[in-house]
Amino acid sequence: MTGGGREPVARGRTGAGTSAARDRILERVRAALADRARIAHPGAFEGWRRGGSGGGPPDVPTPHAPSSDAVAEFVHRFEAAGGRAVRVPSAAAGEAWLAEFSAGFDAAATGQMLPKALAPPLPSAPPEVAPLGVSMARCAVAETGSLMLDARDGRRTQLLPPTHVVWVRAASVYATLREALLAQQDDLPSALGLHSGPSKSADIGQILVEGVHGPGRVIALIIDERP
Amino acid sequence: MKPHAADYAASARHIIRDQPGVRAAVTAATRSFDAHRAASWKEIDVEAWKRWAEGVKSHVLMHLDTYMEQAETRLTENGVQVHWAESAEDALDVVGRIARARGVRRAVKAKSMLTEELGLNAYLEARGVHVRETDLGEYIIQLLGEPPSHIVGPAIHQSVDDIRVLFHRELGTAPDATPEALAAAARSALREEFLGADLGISGGNFLVAETGTLALIENEGNIRLSTSAPPVHVALVGIEKILPHLEDLAGFLQLTARAATGQPIGNFVSLIQGPRRADEPDGPEEVHVILVDNGRSRLLADDEAWEALRCVRCGACLNICPVFRQTGGHPYGWAYSGPIGAILAPAYLGLRASLPLPFASSLCGACADVCPVSIPIPDLLVLWRSRAVEAGEVPKSERAGMRAYAWAADHPRIFAAAGSALRTLPLDKGGRALPVLKEWTAPRAPLRPSPRTFRRLWKEGIE
Repeated sequence: MTGGGREPVARGRTGAGTSAARDRILERVRAALADRARIAHPGAFEGWRRGGSGGGPPDVPTPHAPSSDAVAEFVHRFEAAGGRAVRVPSAAAGEAWLAEFSAGFDAAATGQMLPKALAPPLPSAPPEVAPLGVSMARCAVAETGSLMLDARDGRRTQLLPPTHVVWVRAASVYATLREALLAQQDDLPSALGLHSGPSKSADIGQILVEGVHGPGRVIALIIDERP
Repeated sequence: MKPHAADYAASARHIIRDQPGVRAAVTAATRSFDAHRAASWKEIDVEAWKRWAEGVKSHVLMHLDTYMEQAETRLTENGVQVHWAESAEDALDVVGRIARARGVRRAVKAKSMLTEELGLNAYLEARGVHVRETDLGEYIIQLLGEPPSHIVGPAIHQSVDDIRVLFHRELGTAPDATPEALAAAARSALREEFLGADLGISGGNFLVAETGTLALIENEGNIRLSTSAPPVHVALVGIEKILPHLEDLAGFLQLTARAATGQPIGNFVSLIQGPRRADEPDGPEEVHVILVDNGRSRLLADDEAWEALRCVRCGACLNICPVFRQTGGHPYGWAYSGPIGAILAPAYLGLRASLPLPFASSLCGACADVCPVSIPIPDLLVLWRSRAVEAGEVPKSERAGMRAYAWAADHPRIFAAAGSALRTLPLDKGGRALPVLKEWTAPRAPLRPSPRTFRRLWKEGIE
């Protein structure tokens, strides 16, 4: 970490200056809304699909339990976005896969949430220099093909190595983003990252390039074990 | 940035006549964005998604005071320092004070249209802070010294060859480098910037009042790095970006990505709750959120024009706009270009400073069809046009012409006679014989009257 001391910016002038601004902004907003009709929140986002209920929300939201269908959908979406998914029947089979995969690397950075047994058989290196990062996903989302990564795992491990392997348990794959978010809501770390494929950009003449800032190669290692 | 919308016509003319590559590159890029959007919308019940998103956004705006206070409370509980800025000057001043207090010398920036609106880069650089844009497109235009040409694709007006020349000069890449090699050179230059920066600056796509969550959408990973690697993170967020509930992000993260690029979701989404905690190995030790008004509360009070505040900055209206495609965003002279820019500019900059932008449209309505939050853009363009007329901000000749037209249209015989008479004028010479039409005809291709009048065709029976 670089930078100065740990004290937050003094609240003195900053606080006083902006708290007067706060009151004036709130006052203007209240005045703006004084005579306006209130509009109700339309309720939960149900991810309506074509050929569904004809546009209106269904009477009762359909609860999607993690299911093998969700895993298949996750794999489809994640690979369509340029990621790779590897399904293994057990943690042991995943360890064997990772050991073989690790042969192409000389060191790895590992996330703090990764159980020791699931770490690759490689010397550990800081994420700034490691060619491989290995993390444990908090959960995954089928409809968007996303891995949800927790800041407690370590953000640099998730972002700096050019290749990122992420373990995910099939039982933690949610059908919808809404369910995944609701499930995390009571235990939010400083940051969650939804990673839904490799780092990519089309800013150079609309030509797709992978591995721009984050990992250019991302592999979801899915343990298909039923709990 | 200093707005210069008044130069729109001259600047657009210059690009179309003298820089044909820009029109080609912008048209190709926007057609590609739009084709991806259209394909991705086929998978979903778009009308249901749009209805829901419009409903949530309108609900928030009509209860904005409550949600602003709730967001402030949650952010503060999360350990975020919250600041309020009424104007661009206030917002810049807050960033400047944070930078001074922390002795910031180097800053990395995640792509943020609000910071373009505020002119943050120039402000910080004038105070000795080295500011580096880290989105690849933003990095390209920063090296060129240009503003963004598009809300989502800031460098879409640049061809691969343009970027080869630029990177050869700036980064020493080979003159014939592949796009992969160009991106790799940028990655390596910017990796040092991420790891050496004292401050990371971002905008915010959404701010959740219920949890104090700042949500940021991207594809490169530069936003995650800008908000994770430096010891201080400052986020500048317009007050209209608030959402009520964490679960509302489920709809908005997906709808915004589908509208912008046709993806189911951005490849990287950051959901930020505050500074690094004791059980976390890394992350910023200080997080600041600056809630920026800068004209938004005034637009909210405008009960005819407020719906523009629902905008999620997806760029879909730019991509489909036949006028935007001719030039890209530069002639609009402001951070927000295209149809949405033309209805935000009069609200934020004032009508006079934003003319002629509300007139830079054929009112074809394509923008309203693709807007994911159903902003009635053509209606709002017409609203700002009529306000310009009422305020006497349109050319006298046009007003006189419209009055004459209105009078003639009320008198059928005169209207018919005038129609025939007009056809005898040498309109194919650019219509300059008619002074009233000069403003309209000068920048346009010559008029070519059909062999018979519409009224005559009508009488004879149109096929």
